[in-house]
Amino acid sequence: MRGTDFVLKRVFFAVATVFVAITVNFVLFRTVPGDAVSALRCRQCTPQFKAYERRTLGLDQSKLKQYWLYVDSLFHGDMGRSLRTQETVWSALWSPLKNTMPMVALGTLFSIVLGVATGVISAWRRNTFVDKAGLWTGLAFYAMPPQWLGLMIVLFVAGAIGLPTSGIETPTLGILGDPSTWTIVMDRLKHMVLPASALGLVLYGDYTLIVRSAMLETLGEDYVLTARAKGLSNWATVWKHGLRNAMLPVITLVALSLGFIIGGAITIEYVFSYPGIGLEIVEAIDQRDWPIVQGAFLLLALSVIFFNLVADLLYYKLDPRVTE
Amino acid sequence: MRSIARRRRGLLLIAAVAAFAVTLGTSAGAGATSPTKAKAGGSGILRIGTTNYIDSFNPINFIETQAYNAFIMIYPQLVQYTYGKHGYRFQGDWAKSWKTSKDGKTWTFKLHSGTKWSDGKPLTSKDAAWTINTIVKYRNGATAVAAPALAHVQKATAPNPTTLVVHYAKPVGNVLAQLEQFFVLPQHVYAKYANTKGGKGLKTFHPEQHMPIVTAGAYTIKSYQKKGTTVFIPDPNFWGPPSHADAIALTYYTNADSMIADLKQGNLDWIDQVPFEAIKAVSKMPGVQLQKTLASETTNITWNSNPRKLKNRELLDPRVKRALSMCVNRKRIINVVFQGHASLVESLVGHISSLENPHLGPLKYNCKKGNQILNKLGYKKGPNGIRIAPATHGKYAQKAHPMSYEIVTPTSTDFNVNREFQIVQQGFKAAGVKVTQKVGGDSTATYALETDSKCDAAKHQGYSKFDIAMWDWAGYVDPDFMLSVVTTGQWCSWSDTGWSNKKYDKLYIEQGTTVNPAKRRKIVWKMQKMVYDQMVYTQLVNEQLIDAHSTKWTGFHIELGAYSKAYYTSPRKAG
Repeated sequence: MRGTDFVLKRVFFAVATVFVAITVNFVLFRTVPGDAVSALRCRQCTPQFKAYERRTLGLDQSKLKQYWLYVDSLFHGDMGRSLRTQETVWSALWSPLKNTMPMVALGTLFSIVLGVATGVISAWRRNTFVDKAGLWTGLAFYAMPPQWLGLMIVLFVAGAIGLPTSGIETPTLGILGDPSTWTIVMDRLKHMVLPASALGLVLYGDYTLIVRSAMLETLGEDYVLTARAKGLSNWATVWKHGLRNAMLPVITLVALSLGFIIGGAITIEYVFSYPGIGLEIVEAIDQRDWPIVQGAFLLLALSVIFFNLVADLLYYKLDPRVTE
Repeated sequence: MRSIARRRRGLLLIAAVAAFAVTLGTSAGAGATSPTKAKAGGSGILRIGTTNYIDSFNPINFIETQAYNAFIMIYPQLVQYTYGKHGYRFQGDWAKSWKTSKDGKTWTFKLHSGTKWSDGKPLTSKDAAWTINTIVKYRNGATAVAAPALAHVQKATAPNPTTLVVHYAKPVGNVLAQLEQFFVLPQHVYAKYANTKGGKGLKTFHPEQHMPIVTAGAYTIKSYQKKGTTVFIPDPNFWGPPSHADAIALTYYTNADSMIADLKQGNLDWIDQVPFEAIKAVSKMPGVQLQKTLASETTNITWNSNPRKLKNRELLDPRVKRALSMCVNRKRIINVVFQGHASLVESLVGHISSLENPHLGPLKYNCKKGNQILNKLGYKKGPNGIRIAPATHGKYAQKAHPMSYEIVTPTSTDFNVNREFQIVQQGFKAAGVKVTQKVGGDSTATYALETDSKCDAAKHQGYSKFDIAMWDWAGYVDPDFMLSVVTTGQWCSWSDTGWSNKKYDKLYIEQGTTVNPAKRRKIVWKMQKMVYDQMVYTQLVNEQLIDAHSTKWTGFHIELGAYSKAYYTSPRKAG
């Protein structure tokens, strides 16, 4: 297969996956009991009022018609409006998304740096105490439920190191005075540290294990032995001949992690009361606000598909044999 | 050279990500902000933690109770509640005094003079009359959420800036209790939205997206983050007792453990509700004081009382339901589930109501007698100890079957409903009835299970698939709302039992239009007795509301939460 064919095929699959995601997205939320109107409970919620609401929201249309309208609107760049607040989906999602992305990006970056470093060291120092310590620590964090780890941080770490456990800014900041930009930036960073660390620690275990495993395989190759025989330094052997050739599985993992930046970390956000996209999704599901949930899931699906495509294309760049 | 360039690129990448993080974080955190400033010099900033958030500042479109509490703080009300030795009483808020006509159909309110909205525009009776007339105009559509407070209102007029006259179609027995839930809106802000088709714009308008919000009350809003912190600062134009605190910072927590950790670390001054499981731990915290008051929430066993239900019709018999309920150890529920912070309750309206019927029950825990009743009714125990409901004949004939049922429970309660279920399950088992738990999901999903997805009151469809549920109700000082939830008119809406009783429905209308307090009380008591005798619900417990605050602050009136501006204005620094 030629390179162009490979790229075109990957792009085609990505587009097809987007369509499947759109359809699943539509069907999935209509299988749960109740809708935005049945969720209404008020003294004036007479059958007439509910019928009026259903007409207004288009819920009285057939499912097929609703699907068609949904797809048609998407192609016009319109993700719809919140059934509950009538806010546009994009405007409702943008604010929490802006909160989530930096926190998840920070956590992911932390995990990549730490995970790759410990994975490489573990593989290089195979079967030593350093390797075992790195391996078991990585396994332990990998096995920890993020919400549990978050709670432990809240209960036992936050107080000891004086970092905030919730929200994105100090509640009293700027009430009685004008804080400087530096103060605001530092305050935001302080609020990001614990949730980003909780996320990073869980992801770090994943990276350590994958990198260690890939590195062990690579370090056993003949060309690494040759590099050593040529008298290359340890650093050059590991970095140039080991890590670079072990990067393929790591790239997959990085792509997957980046894809999930949009989705945020629902449980982490919940524990740290972090007003991000995860909390928005939970609330929208609770209130049967389909356009919001569909919008969020669509963004998530698009980001995962996009980063997977990027990973595929990087594979092609890094290892042209994938086209064979 | 190449490696240096690469290293630089790597460093640049890290720097870019960090900059991206901080930049986005900063811009996102700005949220909705108003340029208004708080003035220091009072008691400082009162930092409150809550697990309920403000979803809207528009009283025509909101869901959360925290939003309702915010309306009280920032919008004028005609009257509000105060709390004292004799329980809840009305007092004027924006209205200084009021009187009613002899026929009870016209109410005249004298309002404070010289009042202003936060944007400097005058606040007059015209605003109140316009708000009332607009809500009445669209009561079956766009303004339905706010309309119950104006039941039976025909129109309102403003003969002069400080006089408001409200005209009713018929005399109403609880005018002040209804109007206490009415918020005056600025006509100059909302009028353009009322001119949209069907008044739809009134519902879709979000004041929080157009900061600063135009308000007139004890506070204005300095900044708002839906899932973060909302800052209230005292309004200098407020006509009532001013706030002791320089500002109120209300912070939303999704996780009560984080909230409690922040209280412990001194990052919060007040938690508006401590989870029952955490009460012991919080009570041991130095510098923190617990305070408790009666809560509006009662928990219950909800019996499907739809007279047309097809299955397990033996559960329509109040004698069966009472016998089973006699095996439920409610005191154990109080001790285990609520850590002792609840009390027994018999009436649907709960202890919070000023018109609770004190002569009901009490339902005594006496399983031996419960078993005797079931034996006498012919429900014999089978070989496995589970009773058998005998076959019946006629229109709703059913075969003999074991008394084995599902109990639907929601996941959205503020107490441990699973533990409460286990205690009920043990009680029913002792009565020879097997129950299993069916987790219904969130409120919407559970409600859909109770009513059926194709509930239609006109066709008598719905309430056919569940037998028993366990849930709670949050009542109100005036019993009107709680009495309404079991009326036929609330089928497929508030009704979670499917009960339908014409006599009761008639009494409900009668109590609403009975002006004489003694006569109304008599009707209301009778209605409670009907619900109790028919065992539409088995009332389990009435919760207590526990809050916790720093001992550096004092003057809290937690019983006034969502009832009065004093809830926020009265706390002050101790000493």
